[in-house]
Parts: sequence; C-alpha cells; structure tokens
Amino acid sequence: MVQTASKKAKRPMSRLERKNTLIAYSFLAPNFLGFAIFTLVPVVCSVLLSFVEWNGGAISNMKWVGLQNYASIFKIDKVAEKLMQGDFFYFFERVDLGIALKNTIFYTVVTVPLTLICAVALAIALNKAVKGAVGFRAVFFFPYVASMVAICVCWNFMLMKDGPVNQLIQAFGIPFNKSWTADSTMAIWAIILVSVWRNMGYYMVIYLAALQGVPRELYEAATVDGANKWQQFANITIPQLRPTTFFASIMMIISCFKIFDVVAIMTEGGPGRATKMLVYYIYDVAFMQNKYGLASAISMVLLTIVLIITVIQFRSEKKFAND
Amino acid sequence: MKKMLTLALALVLALAMVGACAEDKQVLTVVTWDATTTPYLLAQEAAFEEKYPDIDLQYIDVASQDYAIKVGTMLSGGDTSDVVMIKEARDIINWQAAGYAAPLSDYMAADAFDVSGYVGTEVNYAVDGVQYALPFRSDFWVLFYNKDLFDAAGVAYPTNDMTWDEYAELAKTMTSDGVYGTHYHTWLSAVANWAVCDGVNTLADREYSDLAYFYNLYQDLEDAGACMAYSELKASGLHYSAAFANGNVAMMPMGYWYVSTLIGYNKEGTCNFNWGITAVPHAEGVAAGSSFGNLTGVMINEKSANKDLAWKYVSWLCSEEGALTTASTGSRPAWVSEAVAAQMASVEGFPTDEASTGALIPSYVGMEWPVVDKLSEIQTIVNEEHSLIMTRELDVEEGIEEMNERVAELFE
Amino acid sequence: MSQTAATKNQIRQDNPVLQMIGKGLLYIVLIAVALFTLIPFVWMISSSLKLDREVFAYPMKWIPETFHWENYVLIWQKVPMLTYFKNTAFIAIVVTCLQTLTSSFAAYAFAKLNFKGRDTLFLCYIATIAVPWQAYMLPQFIMMRSMGLYDTLWAMVVLQAFSAFGVFLMRQFYQGVPTELCEAARIDGLSEYGIWARIMLPLSKAAIATLVIFTFVGTWNDYMGPMIYLTRDVNKTIQVGLRRFIQENSSDYHLIMAASLVSLLPVSIVFLCLQKYFIEGIATSGLKG
Repeated sequence: MVQTASKKAKRPMSRLERKNTLIAYSFLAPNFLGFAIFTLVPVVCSVLLSFVEWNGGAISNMKWVGLQNYASIFKIDKVAEKLMQGDFFYFFERVDLGIALKNTIFYTVVTVPLTLICAVALAIALNKAVKGAVGFRAVFFFPYVASMVAICVCWNFMLMKDGPVNQLIQAFGIPFNKSWTADSTMAIWAIILVSVWRNMGYYMVIYLAALQGVPRELYEAATVDGANKWQQFANITIPQLRPTTFFASIMMIISCFKIFDVVAIMTEGGPGRATKMLVYYIYDVAFMQNKYGLASAISMVLLTIVLIITVIQFRSEKKFAND
Repeated sequence: MKKMLTLALALVLALAMVGACAEDKQVLTVVTWDATTTPYLLAQEAAFEEKYPDIDLQYIDVASQDYAIKVGTMLSGGDTSDVVMIKEARDIINWQAAGYAAPLSDYMAADAFDVSGYVGTEVNYAVDGVQYALPFRSDFWVLFYNKDLFDAAGVAYPTNDMTWDEYAELAKTMTSDGVYGTHYHTWLSAVANWAVCDGVNTLADREYSDLAYFYNLYQDLEDAGACMAYSELKASGLHYSAAFANGNVAMMPMGYWYVSTLIGYNKEGTCNFNWGITAVPHAEGVAAGSSFGNLTGVMINEKSANKDLAWKYVSWLCSEEGALTTASTGSRPAWVSEAVAAQMASVEGFPTDEASTGALIPSYVGMEWPVVDKLSEIQTIVNEEHSLIMTRELDVEEGIEEMNERVAELFE
Repeated sequence: MSQTAATKNQIRQDNPVLQMIGKGLLYIVLIAVALFTLIPFVWMISSSLKLDREVFAYPMKWIPETFHWENYVLIWQKVPMLTYFKNTAFIAIVVTCLQTLTSSFAAYAFAKLNFKGRDTLFLCYIATIAVPWQAYMLPQFIMMRSMGLYDTLWAMVVLQAFSAFGVFLMRQFYQGVPTELCEAARIDGLSEYGIWARIMLPLSKAAIATLVIFTFVGTWNDYMGPMIYLTRDVNKTIQVGLRRFIQENSSDYHLIMAASLVSLLPVSIVFLCLQKYFIEGIATSGLKG
C-alpha cells in the first residue's frame, strides 16, 4: 500500500487524479480558508516568534536572537554544568521549564487513561437500554457544561481540610486532613480529579456517538459463532472504536498538555511550583513578563512533544487501517 | 396614526440633536477596571466633566483580574485609547519598554507641573529621568480593627505606636471562641512585606532574611489560633473584605483602599459594627507610622490622537484638585497635603476618633514592589516560595534560602 | 428502544438471577457516579441562595439559613445579563452552523478522498490544536484588529468557526463508515458531493450531534477569547459578564453561582434535544444493503 502510494507520487498526475484532487480541494476550501487565515497564519507567526526577542511593542522592536530563547528556557549552561557535576535531575528539580514539563507530563499520564476508562465504561453502560439513560447521560455531561470559575471555586471548597471529600476519605479510614490545594503532593491530584470529573462526560458523548456506528450485524454474527460478551467487547467493540479512540486520546493528550484554566483558578501553580504547568508558565512569561519570544519558544517545546506523540499514533492508526 | 408619526418625528429630531451635542464634545477614552462600581472613578468623571463641559470622558472597562493581559494585548494591537490607568508596578515597566507610554516630561515642563505633593513617589514611574506616568492614588497599609469586639472584650484599642510583638500579644488577647484576633490575607504583602517599612530593605534586593521575623510572627499567631489558617483561606478563596465584614475578626492589616469598601458596607448595611484604623505596627528600631504601599497611576497612550486633551485630564487627575475629588470617596490620592488629609478625614462614614485621623499621615511609605529590572520574574519566585512557607511545606529558613538562591540565579 | 434479536438471545441464554444482580450493580455504580458528578452542583445551588459572606462561611452549610431567591433577580439588574445572553447565543449559533457545515465537508475529503499532501495537511490541522492559544494570541490579535474585527461579535465567529477540532472529529467518524459504501455509490454514478450529502451526512447524525453539542458548549463557555476581543458592554458574553461579579476589592460569589446556573440552562436544553441521536444513529444500517 505504502509502496504504491510513493510510486504514484513520482509520475505526473493523470487527468483523473487531477480532477480528484480538485474535488478534494473544493471540499476542503470553505474550512481551510478560514482556518488558514485565522489560525494557521498566527500559529506560523508564533513559530517565528520563538526565534526573536519581542516585548509586544512595534514590530521594529523585534530582535532576531536565533536559538537563544531555547537556550535560556532550558538553562543550557547551568544544566550542562550541573550534569558535569553529576546532578542529573537539576533540570526537572530546579529549572522552571523542567518542573513545568514534569508536572504536565505526570498530569497527562494519569489523567488521560483515567478519563478514557471512565468515558468508555459510562458510554457502554449507557448505550444499552438502561432505564433513565437519558437522565444519566445528561448528568454525566453536566460538569462539562458548567462555567469554569464556578466549578473551580466549588471544588476548592469540596477539597478543603474538613470538606466533604476528606470526610469521605476519612470514613474509609485514610487519615488525610489537609486542604488538597494547599499541599504539594495533593494539589496536582486535585487538578486531576477536577479534570476527570469534568471531562469524562465529554468523552462519554464521543464514545456514545461512536458506538452508534458499530454495525449490530457484527454482534449478531459473533453471537451465532458463540462468542461471549467479553470476547465481543475485545474483538468487536474495541477495534470498531479505534478511530474514535485515536481521536479521543490525541485530543485528550493535547488538552492535558494545554491545561490552564483549572490551574489558574484553583492553585495558581502552587504551592510553590507543585502545579506549575506548561501553559501556565507560558502565560506568566508572555503576559506578566512581556517576553513573547520566550513564551513562543516554550510553546514550541509543547508542540514538539505533542507532534511526536501524534505522529506515532497516526502511524499506528494507518498501519491498523491497512492491515 | 398621525399622532404616532408626529411622535416618531419628534423622537428622531430629539435623537439627532442629542447626537449633534455629543459630536460637539471631544471624547476622551480612559482604560480602567471596575469602572461602573468604583466610587472614585465615578466621582472623578463627574468632577472632570463639570470642570470641562466640552469633554466627554468615557471609561473603557476591563475586568480587574485580567487587566494586564487584556490591556497589554490591546496596546500591542495599536489601540488608540487616550489614557491608560496603571494597576501594578510591572504594568508600567512592561508598557514603557514596549513603547506604549508617551513621555510626559515636555508637558510637565510646559505647564510647570507641580510634583511636590507626591513626596517623591513619582520616580517609580520615571525611566532614565523621563516621566512616563503620574500617580493619582497611593494606597499605604493600615491596621483596621473592629471597635465593637474590643469594647465587648474590654480591651484597649490598638494605637498608632505599637510594635509587632505588642500587636501579636493583642491579637492573642482578643482571640476567643469564634473570634479571631487578627486576619491575614493570603498575599505576600499582607504577611511579610513589612520588612520594607524600614526604608532600607526592598523586595528586590536579593536578600530576604529580613522577612523571617514576619513569617515567624505569623506562624506563631496561626499556631495560637489567633488568625485563620493560610491553607484554609487559600482553598476557600475567602475574600478579605468578607472576612472582616463578617464581624468576627478583631484586627486586619490591609491597604487603605479598604476604607471606601467598608464605608460602602456600612451604608448598604452589609456590616454594621464600628471600626477604626491605626498605623500598622512597626518593628523595633523603625519609626512608628512607617508603612508600605503601592501606586495607581495614569499614562498617555503613545498612539492617542489627542494627547493634549489626554494631558488635560492627566494633569487634572494627578493635581491637588483631582486629589481632593479622589479623597472625597474615601480613597487615598497620591498627592498629599493638609487639605487632602482633611478631605479624607471628613468623608462621611470615616471613623472620627483621633487615632484614625492620625493614621492618615504615615511617617514613611516604602514601595511594596520597587520598579526594577526583572521585577515580574522576582515576583513570581518570591510568591512561589511564599506559598511554600505559608503552607509549611518549607521551614521559614529554607523558604528564604530558596528565595535568595533563585533570585540570585536570575541575575547570573 | 427495542432490543435486537441478538441481545434477546443473550438474555435467554444467561441466568436470570445473574442478570438481575448485574443490572442492580450497574445501577448502583451509575447512581454513585451520578452523585459524585452532582454534589458540586448541589453546593452551587445552595451558594447561589446565600449572601456573599455566607458562601465561604466555615464550617460549610449545605442548606442556607434563609433562601435569598432575590439573587436570581439581582444578576439581571446588576449587569446587563440579557445583552450578554443574546450575544453569546448569536455567537454560539452562528459558530455552530458554520463549524458543522465546513468541517463535515472538509472531513469528507480527509477521510474518503485521495489527494496529494493529504496527510501533511491533516497533521498541520492537528499541530495547530497543539499550539497553546496564549502563544499565538498576539499575532492573531494584531491581524484581527487590522481587519477591523476587534470588538465585534464577528471576531468570535471567525475565530471559532473554522477550528481544526471539528474537522478532526468528523474525519474520525467518517473513517468508521465502510469505504465499500462510497465505492458502491461511485459505481452507481453518484458524484462526491452526492456521496457526502446522501450517504455520509445521514450516516453521521450521531457525529454531527456530537459536534453541534461540543461546538455550542465550547463557544458558550469560552472566556479567554471574548475577554480579549470584546470590550464594549454591548458586545460582551456571559462568561465575561460573570467575571464582572469578581472585582478588585470585592467578589460576589453568590451571584456568580446564580448566574452560572442560569447560563447552564440553554446549553443543557441543546444537549437534551440532541441526545436522541445517540440512540437512533445508524445502528443497524451498514453493509447489509
């Protein structure tokens, strides 16, 4: 499959291909035009910005600095010096970028699977003819609909020292008696909790929609073949949900990497730097310190990571589609 | 039907005339925050338009918590609003560097503009000797106290000359079931900024050991239950205005701006106890009445098409005349004089006791944050370590050590 | 929904007692999760009926001492909430229409047509999702302002109507539609536009419903965009309006709670109206025909 494609690319386009390409472009045009002007161009600008020093003033204030922005966010000199001294964790323990990366990755690694599992479980449970499914779906989607300020204020209160969540935990015999957001270890869990709570309904909706696309015939055939429910789930549902899982996991990884609102309202990155995340760091550098070049450079780090993950997933998706 | 038509015609005519009137007036746009509810802004608008009837002053209202980002973006996009208010020290640093602020020195020289009333604070808005903004408000910190609670406990009111240790003792004395002796808001400024009152230290001098005394004082009070715990306050997001207004807090160090809030509360009936202010306590060896504060100012937008008009407003707002208007709403203007102090004391609802009026004239006001290079980075670091000390993730010494080390790294 | 033959079969095969226990467990879990989801909302409702200083009173009270229903009146009086609602509704509706139409169109090309540069272009789309808005906001703002869109509702429309998200979502759903269906239609002489209109659209009702819900909710709840782009009061949206209750020297959290509960209503209605598509969907269509 891959080989034929590359062969095709080498010879000049046939008339049919050209016609097909034109048709394809006509499908793309309405969205692409708007997308290119209002999103792509500014994004490309921000890529370029990562190589300049700019304080937001007149364009003439911009100064080309090459890779210096990158060197300074990674604190290359200092990190290299510490490495020589055998301090291998300096970057992740002391440098803002390293700490933000560490926090963001930890948050993403925990949040994505948790949300995904909850979402799939809820979707499968509610895809059946359960009584009250309509109500349940609405309830689970509710958190996504509510305004962020209200939610975060509310959760901060839920997670207080003597708040309902701690009372529940203590009822199970766990002696935790601190406000979550005021504790270095728990603060990030507070953010994870709120994120899962808020997003599971969202991804549940995506899976519900996707489950509608799974042809019933497949299950019927499987039943005839004597497959039990678990086998049906593993051999039909999961493969059929593959494109959706690809979408959901990429979107979730990206949105986790871009977590901002919850941090800004609930913890402001604290205590200390315990919940300092990449975008919160970008926000601080861009709008408090007015260093737009530096902020763009941090964004590029984020972009690179996400692109690598996406390309890997994209490849495996194509491979799967071709198998 | 005919009647309707005549009525409609009359309406159109009336509208046209209103429109024509509005066109005659010169429009001056001022970017600010909370424009519809801040008493001094409303009073200033009224007084200015009364003095200059041909000018129509229009506020552009920006949400206060996103002021820096929104206004920074507007200015970067070439916004042409005439005047921009400055909320925090880093705003003027950032905006001046980006070239958004028009230099005022020429205007000031031409008008022989008097700056003596600012008692030197205006230098915070000057870069390399050029003035880029002028202050119109200068809030210093005072100690608020609930007179009714002190009366009920039979304890003497706090005075204008108290050391921090005496204050801590008083706070513990006032603490009883359901009453907190004092209240610290979560900010660094409410807990440890006091170190800058001595006129020597600043929060940007890269040496933070002078904060230790105040952190220890705070932790002692928190342990004694004399104030609400930081972590609870942080998590609940309790606003200091509500905390004091609830009536179960005996004392609270807070910025002078809270005076007008409290006067408003008294009028609305949100709270109905008697309160007073004193100077904040002072450290041993520091003069009584020393405090710190921050400025609120105005700058003229470099892109404004009517800078002369803008200067008319700026020079009025920041003069003694503007100061009297600002003071009439219970806010403290940057211009200090006896007339202004008298105006502040005569605001309806301001406590009438001698100590309160005496607190109006501080002996020294340091800057909460000095205007220095890398201010924003320093602020971020100091605030991060502040939160670790306050949640007791770090000892006071450790936290301060971190502050020193990290701020030093900035300048390597 | 009638159960299909297959599931009926299954039920007959399984032990009825086990079935009952399974169902019971399912309900217990569902109800527990629902409670976990709803408790913060209960707190919101209770706070919306308190006075501001009671909201954070400690220890917390779930039931207010006196019910301040007037909070729900106050929010309309203190700020021009009605204008905010109208603006938000306008933006949300226009954006949703544009987004659904253009992205389902573009997604068809990405999912079912072969053309040069397809994968690269698609990666481009995804890549822009990965760049945080904070990083390219300034260039975008400068551009929008030079186009004269600053402080107009259209700024929000053009910013959100062509997002990569919709294209991505629809592409993934279209990928689930068997390619054989398109091939068959092509042989029958249907043009690509015909295939999109007659086959893809009807088959992707659930996906479109999803996109409509997400776009609508996303636009409705957006804060940063309107905060930056809309300045005059007549142009502000609900989320921006909500923050007007948080001021520098005071905050009215009881009103924020009341207003956000009210703003929840329209979005919930949209969701409830559209969720029937999650049951009907394409269920038993597919390859049989």
